[in-house]
Amino acid sequence: MRVSKSRTRPFSVSPQLEPGAPSDFELMKAIQAEDPDALSQLYDRYNGILKALILRVIHNEAEADDLLQEIFMEIWNQAKNFSSQKGKPLGWMVTLARRRAIDGLRKKQAYARAEERLQNETEQQPDAWVHNSTEEEIVLSDTRSLIRKVISGLPPAQQQAIDLAFFRGMSQREIAAKTNTPLGTVKTRLELGLKKIYDGLKELRGEL
Amino acid sequence: MNFKEFQNQSRLYVIGALEAEEFAEFEKARKKFGKKAEDYIGECYGLHEAFALSLRPAKSSTAIKDRLMAMVRARKEA
Repeated sequence: MRVSKSRTRPFSVSPQLEPGAPSDFELMKAIQAEDPDALSQLYDRYNGILKALILRVIHNEAEADDLLQEIFMEIWNQAKNFSSQKGKPLGWMVTLARRRAIDGLRKKQAYARAEERLQNETEQQPDAWVHNSTEEEIVLSDTRSLIRKVISGLPPAQQQAIDLAFFRGMSQREIAAKTNTPLGTVKTRLELGLKKIYDGLKELRGEL
Repeated sequence: MNFKEFQNQSRLYVIGALEAEEFAEFEKARKKFGKKAEDYIGECYGLHEAFALSLRPAKSSTAIKDRLMAMVRARKEA
């Protein structure tokens, strides 16, 4: 088993870019200088990933499109607050998108509706972490398939706890109530699962 | 809290899963470990990126991008 020795390099598993394409950092710098074409390129590069994340939270196509537009507008407006010292552009954008998506879900008090949709979609949703029966049918990019491999290596209960915390914004207590599990067990599942993913991704970083 | 426990808590922190009663203790340890703590939290945010990349990209309508770029250009010219 390979173990990464790096402790200072930002932990990241970004997708590969075409040769000669501007890096995400270069695009962010151009956006900070108010270059709309840079935002256009960043949009083309990551709208699919960010929309998938938003959809995973709110489960509504039209709302996800609206939110995606708002998030890229926020990226444009907040670009000056991005600092390369704090991490990579994709990480910053994902953090921003997740926060907005979870806020949106809470503001609209859509938990009940999303809950219904989630239950309806569970059987047919290809991107569910737990009980994903259609995985083989999907052609995955190298990066994504490797990340999925790490995540799918977790016991389903750990996957579920992380899924509810990350994509639904649930607290440990909310997860405990939803899954009818003792709070201490939820905490242990989250801690063990996140550590395994973190360690697995550190190993992956060397393979990508 | 030792650094190993802080690392565990950091991973919960970045996904917003720290409970209120854990938060104060975490912030105390964060101050105690200083730069080492900040570096580790920064690394943990890589989990966000990984979780997003684990999903199959979704298609969005071209109208969204057209609207976005029109808004951006209008704001720039204003």
